Amino acid sequence: MKFDLIEPGVYPELVYPPYKSTVKRGPLQPMLRIEAPLPVTQNIVAAPHILLPNDADLTVHGNGEPLGEKIVVTGRVFDEDGKPVRNSLVEVWQANSAGRYWHKKDQHAAPLDPNFHGVGKMLTDDDGRYRFVTIKPGPYPWGNHDKAWRPAHIHFSLFGNIYAQRLVTQMYFPNDPLFDYDPIFQSIPDEAARQRLVSRFSLEHTVGSEMLGYEFNIVLRGRNATPMGL
Amino acid sequence: MSKITTSQTIGPFSHEALQWAVDAARPDAVQVDGPTLLVSGTIYDGDGAPINDAQIEAWTPQGAEPQQMVPGFRRAPSGEQGEFSMRVTALTGGSGEPLMYVTVFARGLVKHQFTVVFLEDDLGLAQSCILNQVPEARRATLLARKTGDGQYRWDIRMQGEQETVFFDYV
Repeated sequence: MKFDLIEPGVYPELVYPPYKSTVKRGPLQPMLRIEAPLPVTQNIVAAPHILLPNDADLTVHGNGEPLGEKIVVTGRVFDEDGKPVRNSLVEVWQANSAGRYWHKKDQHAAPLDPNFHGVGKMLTDDDGRYRFVTIKPGPYPWGNHDKAWRPAHIHFSLFGNIYAQRLVTQMYFPNDPLFDYDPIFQSIPDEAARQRLVSRFSLEHTVGSEMLGYEFNIVLRGRNATPMGL
Repeated sequence: MSKITTSQTIGPFSHEALQWAVDAARPDAVQVDGPTLLVSGTIYDGDGAPINDAQIEAWTPQGAEPQQMVPGFRRAPSGEQGEFSMRVTALTGGSGEPLMYVTVFARGLVKHQFTVVFLEDDLGLAQSCILNQVPEARRATLLARKTGDGQYRWDIRMQGEQETVFFDYV
């Protein structure tokens, strides 16, 4: 598999002063682009027993129904040739409907929901599709600057099929008024690249009277994948 | 223009979601047949302050065994002093290959960074295809120092004189 150079503007800026903690944490030297050694392009395959029965339904981990708007999020994972990335691990985590994470370091004065922990994982199917049921996360303040509020988002961690396809990103919801004020979203210079992180409302994936559907497709790096078995 | 999905920071709240892999990589949980090495270190920011909410991942295909959740994959969060450690399967001597391929994530790091770790006492270093592509003055950032029998120290520096070399693969 080959990895084309990513043009400037597609990735966020590693040092982006409006997002304060980038200033001392973003590497200053340019990445050193080298020939991929073999292990970087070897398959990374999760064992099927990694998945627990309700990993793809984040709403069934308490004694009752979590509070908030139940939604389904689905999409397909592709490589840069548009080929589906199959049988690859996807991890998700998020705040609850009040904007609070199930995490000891989250100090936001919003209530925890004992019925919602906000973590899940799944494997993509033969079409590269993932699907999970959850609660729409709330926006939350984060202290970066005065009135700093994150737009509602779901964190995604993707393994792809090989090590070098690894990606951690965030999925947003359509028409969020906080986009213009969020330095994490705005750290991506390219407008089209920003918009590709915004999910699309999907009537097709909406489930009757139970939950609205959102679609979020993902393109991982890499092209010219060797077909399986060769 | 590339149509890839771009990156965003892992943020400070990933740990509960990613804990399954940390548990699976605990020394008493990792069942490996061959000899193992322990690599420990600290991750520092540009002020030399420890980063206490990073996630460090390692890909060690030489240690891939089918009973593991993701064979060859390890994950460790950094502790309150920025410390982390990984137990990985040793390479057979004189290889000139990295002991592990490392991915670094942290709050304030908007895109993950790829790096590698070599052992300083690997007799094959001079022939290493990867090291030979790294400017000589920066190679030391990729070398783990031997601290004891089967134990090595390797620190990650996000910025500064000794900024770790981070890679993009072709």
